[in-house]
Formats: sequence, structure tokens, C-alpha cells
Amino acid sequence: MQPVEPALKAHGVTRKFGHRTVLHDVSLAVSGGDFLMLVGHNGAGKTTLIRVLAGLLKPTAGTVQRSGATGMVAHSSMLYDALTARENLAFHGRLHGLNDAALVQRILEQMGLAPHGDRRVATFSRGMVQRLSIGRALLSDPEVLLLDEPFTGLDDAAAVIVREVLQDLEQRRRAVVVATHQLVEVVDLATSVGFLVGGRLAAIEPVAGRDAHAVMARYRELAANA
Amino acid sequence: MPSFWSAALAIAAKDMKIEWRTKTAFASAIVFAVLVLAVFYFARDPTAVGALDIAPGALWVTFTFAAMLGLNRAFMLESENRAMDGLMLAPISPSAIFVGKFLGNLAFVGVVEAVSLPLFILFYDLPIVGQLPALVGVIAMATVAFVAVGTLLSSMVVRTRFAELMLPILLLPFLIPPIVGAVQLTSRILSGRPLSDLAGWLKLLASFDIIFVILCFFLFEATLEE
Amino acid sequence: MTRRDRALVLARRGQVITGIALAGLVGVFIRALVFTPIERTQGPAQKIFYVHAPAAWAALLAFAITGILSLIYLWLKDRKIDSIAAASAEVGLAFSVAMLTTGPIWGKTVWGTWWSWDARLTSTMFIFLLFIGYRVMRGAIVDPSTRARFSAVIGIMGLVLVPFIHMTVYLFRTLHPDPVLLKPSSPSMPGEMLVTLLSSVAVFTLLYVGFVTQRYAIAILRDVREEAASAIS
Repeated sequence: MQPVEPALKAHGVTRKFGHRTVLHDVSLAVSGGDFLMLVGHNGAGKTTLIRVLAGLLKPTAGTVQRSGATGMVAHSSMLYDALTARENLAFHGRLHGLNDAALVQRILEQMGLAPHGDRRVATFSRGMVQRLSIGRALLSDPEVLLLDEPFTGLDDAAAVIVREVLQDLEQRRRAVVVATHQLVEVVDLATSVGFLVGGRLAAIEPVAGRDAHAVMARYRELAANA
Repeated sequence: MPSFWSAALAIAAKDMKIEWRTKTAFASAIVFAVLVLAVFYFARDPTAVGALDIAPGALWVTFTFAAMLGLNRAFMLESENRAMDGLMLAPISPSAIFVGKFLGNLAFVGVVEAVSLPLFILFYDLPIVGQLPALVGVIAMATVAFVAVGTLLSSMVVRTRFAELMLPILLLPFLIPPIVGAVQLTSRILSGRPLSDLAGWLKLLASFDIIFVILCFFLFEATLEE
Repeated sequence: MTRRDRALVLARRGQVITGIALAGLVGVFIRALVFTPIERTQGPAQKIFYVHAPAAWAALLAFAITGILSLIYLWLKDRKIDSIAAASAEVGLAFSVAMLTTGPIWGKTVWGTWWSWDARLTSTMFIFLLFIGYRVMRGAIVDPSTRARFSAVIGIMGLVLVPFIHMTVYLFRTLHPDPVLLKPSSPSMPGEMLVTLLSSVAVFTLLYVGFVTQRYAIAILRDVREEAASAIS
């Protein structure tokens, strides 16, 4: 039982674009130490849900409550290609009221980017950009980190670093929400799994030690019944 | 949480740093300015039309069109890699984004003007002694006016398909009061007339500045949320 | 009653209003041509004024309403308000065109110049340009709520701009008076001409209301059709 206020709570979230309903009546809550894995086909609304949870989109109906800061990592890096890795981090730090060069260095090291700190992001590979983007999100040490397909296009070395970051977050009792179809990468870290079918959260349940196959089977079962 | 001004200045500084690195917009704007000044000079009958007669109009057409080349880039910067999401996720007020972009644009246009003005004085052989402070004052006031409106409009136009075309269509009507005022004032300053002649125009320019900077500041947030 | 039915009722009402207004327009034309005295200095051509001035008035009215509704939209965020504002802008555009075509015809016939940069005429021309910008902007945005918000911003900005344009031209004119001085509506107008003018203004206002009602009804019907189309897909 969680006696504390959840770090992130969505209640009855519906989101329309014009006449198209992309999310319908989605409710969920995550607290520190929770690791929620969102599973769904492309077009099921995962990206829209992440953006609504982050506060970048307002729900058409329903509410989202945050008791702490939320960070987001998405397909687009939110970085400036013409700036170096260090300058990007320093800028995002300043947007959060931080002016700490040592913190920037620590993040670069944690992401395995320390040797590339003073190179422009335009020269980075996809894996390096993704790692830097995660570093950007971690700078302000948010209570909740939302990730939308963080493993897409990553090489093995980069994927290992991302997994380590996620493990570390869980250990430090941060809340994590990951939307992904590469279940294998996170299924052993996740505490709960939500199944998005056609914009609705068909089910949200504890992972209970299931592996990726079992989770996918459950998804197919829910999708068939929808 | 950063203060309003530290966020705005961080954004302005970041924009200036990036523009300084790439320099493409600067280069285009300055080359454009030189060309327009030259065309205006040659596109007249020198026996019938003195340089002093067309100089004010030429100067202001140059400044505004060269500026328009650069106004869109402030927000286009934020659309690559969806960097705007990064700004929106940060704990800063949306108005700080407007002020930051406004200051960045002001700096850009200021540099273009600072480079074009000496060329203008040179080409048109203008008697500039002692009038420079008044001229710079007028240039500053008119520039604030069109940069404020241009910044607001570009934040909307950047999301449409024909951003480069849409900005002039929407912006030009808003240029009439400040630019006509600036041309009239420039003309009188260059002919050495006392500023008391110009009270009406100065008041128009000043009130336009105050009213539109405030209006654009408040309307900016409406151009953001999804 | 479904939304579609309500829209059809509204369209019908709009048609009725427009019909009455058009009948009134015919009446005003007859009165202007036959029963109103010919102006002394300008001759029969002056009668274009009875179309030109009310068209300018209607354009200005449409513009003000679009501007005010834009403010209200940003406050209430009700999409219906945006639809009415857009309908008003479209109708205003039509009236501006009427004004901008009758103006030069009148000017050339009576004073020998196609255009005069006086404050009123120039302001209305800029209203026309703002309407065009508003429309172009709307055409470039697909998402309805973004479109509504951006239109509202332009609407409000335009509303604040027009007095400045008026002032600019006025200042310019006092400094550079035109040899030909235009006084499109002289306060010392004889009673009969004033009555014709006011009747024309009233008829044009009714025409505005009728057109906007129909245009708004069409907007609702289009929306209903789109909703049905996306429900199927």
C-alpha cells in the first residue's frame, strides 16, 4: 500500500485531435519505485499518452496530477545540433535553475559521453544522441521519468547504458514509465505493465515475473477481445 | 526554478550562440541589405531625385525585409529535434520564452542594422554629423516594434507549411505605423529639422511600441499549447 | 433535434434575413436613384456613395466583431465562437471588396483619381488585407483548435492595429495634404440624402447578419459531416 501521494496520476484522460479520439478514458498512477511498461501497437496512443502525462498536451477531458517534476525522453532529442554536448546540458540545466559544471560532467560520464563532451551534437551517432537526451532529462533529477521508445535504433553498448540508467532510477525510488515494443529490454525491470488497445487502457497489472513472450500473449488476448 | 530573466536570457544567449556558429542567416540578411540599398540608389533618375529623398525609404525597406529573412529562424531552431518540447517541459514561464526569443531576434536585427547603417551612410553620402544619436534612437524604437510583432507571428507561422511566405503576408500590415513613422522621422533628422517638428510621429512610435510589446507578450502563450 | 437539424434551421433563418435585406436593398437603390436629389457638385455619380459607404461600414462592423469574438474565444475557448468569428471575417472580406471596387469608381468619376490615401479609405484597405491574412492563416492550419487559437491572436492584433493605421495616415495627411480633398460623408447632408444613406446602412447591416448566419450554419454542417466521416473510418 502506498501511503504517499502518487508522483503522477492520470484520471479519465481523453484526448481528441479534431474528431479523432486517440486516447479514451485512461487512468493510471505511479509512485516512487514503480516502473510501468506501456505496451501497444503503433497508433494505439502510446506517444500521445506520454505527451499528455508529460504536460506537453492538455487532455480533452480528464486530469493529470503531478506531485513532482516530470522528465521526458522521446524519439526527438530536444537537443541543439549546433551546440556541443556540454553546452546542451548546461543550457537545459539553466532552464531548471541549475548552474553546475560538475553536475554536467557527472551526467556526461554516467552516459558514457565524457570523451565527446565538447563535440557538437550534429556529429553524434543516433545512440550517442539518445544517451545525451536521457542525460538532459536526468539533469534535474525528476521524480518521474517518461520514456517513449528509448531503445529504438540503439546499438548494444548504448542499450546497456540505458538499462543501467533505468535500474539506477528504480533503485533511487524514482518513478519510470516506458512505452516500448522492445519488451525484452525492460520486462525484468518493470513492476507493472499497461496494455493500450485502440486508445484505451485495456488492463494494467503487475508484471508478476512474466517474460516478454507471456506479456505479448496477454496483449494479443486483450487486443482480440477489444 | 530559474527566475524569469535568467530563463529568458539563457534562451537569448543560446540563440545568439547558435546563430553565431552557423552564420547563415546573418550572411543572407547582410548581403540582401547591401543589394537592396544599391538597387534603390541606382533605380532612380539622379538628376530628378536626390539621394537624400529616397534615402529614408530605402533604409527602412532594407531593414525590414532583411529582418524578415531572419525572424523565422528563431522558432525554426526549436522545431528541429523538437527542442521546443524541451523548453515547455522546463519549469519556466512561457512568457520567458517570448522574451528570450524577442531579445535574440532584436540582437540579430541589431547586428544587421549596425552593419547596414554605415554602408547606407557611405552609399548615399549622408550628412550624418551630430544626427547619429537621434537616428539611432529612431531606429531602435522602430526595430523594437517590428521585432515584437514579428516574433509573435513567427511562433505561429513556423507551424504552417509556407512559413517563409506567411510571415510577410501577416507582418506587413503591422509594419505600417512604425515604418511610416520611422521614415518620416529619419527624413526629418537627415534634413536637420528640429525634433519638435516630429512630436506626433514620436508619440505614435512610442505608443505603438508600448502597446504591441505588451500585447504580444500576453498573446504569446496562446500560440504555444497544443 | 440533431446538430444538423439545428444548423439547417439556422441556415433557413439566415436565408430569410438575407431575403428581406435584399428586398430592402432594391428599395434603397430605387430610392437612391429616383427619389434622392442629385448632389450639386458631384452629379449622379455621387450615388455610388450609397453603396460605398455602407459597404465600408459593414466591413468595419465585421472586422470589429471578428476582433471582439477573438478576445472572447481566448477567454472561453468555445469553438463555436471561432466559427462565428471566421464567418464574420469571410463576410467582411466580401464587403471590403465591394467597398474597394466602388471607391475607385466613385473617385475616378467624380474627382479624377482612382485612389486617395485618406485615413478612412486606407484603414479599410488594411482591414481587407488583414482579412486576407486571417483567411490565409486559417487555410494553412489543419488542426481545428490550433486554427481557432491562431485566428484569435490575429483577430485581436488586427483590432488593435487599425486605430494605429488610421492615426498614421492622418498624421501623414496633415503633413502632406492632397490637392484633392475628399469628404465622403459631409455632416451637412440634406435630410433626404441622409435618410437614404441611413436606410442603406441599415440594409447592409441586415445583409451582414443574414450572410453571417448562413455562413455559420454552413460551418456547422461541414463540421457535422467531418465528424460523421471520421466516425466511419
